[in-house]
Amino acid sequence: MGTVVTIDIFGENYHDPLQIARSVDAAEGILREADEVFSTWKPQSPLSRLRRGELTIGEVPTVIADVLDECRIAKRVSRGWFDPWSIPGGVDPTGLVKGWAAQRALDPLRELDLTGVLINAAGDIASFGGPGHGEPFRIGVVCPGDLKRLACVVESPGAVASSGTYERGNHLVNPFTGASISTVSATVTGPELGLADALATALAVAGRVGLEFFSSLKNYEGLVIETTDNVYASEGFPMAETFLSGRPS
Amino acid sequence: MNYVYGVLSVQVTASGSKISRVTIGTINDGGNYRSQSIDQMAIPQLEQQALSVQSANIQGVSGASYTSAGFRQSLQSALSKLGL
Repeated sequence: MGTVVTIDIFGENYHDPLQIARSVDAAEGILREADEVFSTWKPQSPLSRLRRGELTIGEVPTVIADVLDECRIAKRVSRGWFDPWSIPGGVDPTGLVKGWAAQRALDPLRELDLTGVLINAAGDIASFGGPGHGEPFRIGVVCPGDLKRLACVVESPGAVASSGTYERGNHLVNPFTGASISTVSATVTGPELGLADALATALAVAGRVGLEFFSSLKNYEGLVIETTDNVYASEGFPMAETFLSGRPS
Repeated sequence: MNYVYGVLSVQVTASGSKISRVTIGTINDGGNYRSQSIDQMAIPQLEQQALSVQSANIQGVSGASYTSAGFRQSLQSALSKLGL
């Protein structure tokens, strides 16, 4: 099984294709390196060996400790609903690391004179700038009941992450009870995709009660779609347009 | 959520008034040009989806994690084909 990352580059001036290719290569290198270090599918990845107790935290690449620090923050902010330590088989930061890696992969592309870049890591989007100067990116959110349709459009503040049980089957687990959760779609916007990714996971598990996370968290906002009629959003959620019958409440 | 799922492919699209709308990079995944093979899967159904995403004037699509197989059917894939 694999996945696809798309990188979309927006610019108004001429660019040397080689220069773009070099920066894209660097971005891609960051994504691949994260996969090598953090893969729970590769038995010899440093994270897999840490989980089996073959290596200590002092013996693995320091980025693992960095990511686990971010996981601790995400666990606290989500009031325990995001909990990589509750997963059987050892700590699993996968719910944060994809967003974290995509966010970092933007860096080499910032050196180019572009209006904006979008990195879409299998449905979670890290970006800077926009399609033109002064325009934010508009991001469609997939309708959980019908993946061929959009539920709504948001104006990206940088990161847009979505989570739900509808695409890969029921892979979300309530960290408090261990039970699988029913279908709900959650989207989180904010400045950084690592935290947004983790919070989207937490929000999909918690459902609408999880919107409380955002009352004390600056710059991050959340949306929960239970059904097309039952839509809930935090107060500052950057909704640009909605195709749902229910209005966010 | 999990991109840490084994094979990773990266698609790149550049757009803008001076940057031509071309795919400037495909990834060699163990000898297979996986991104390219995805490009070649021109599923007619995607055109319908592409129309719906085009009318929404969006640059990206967010949704729960998809696999490579899921990507081919996804709205993001339809959008990428448009080269917006």
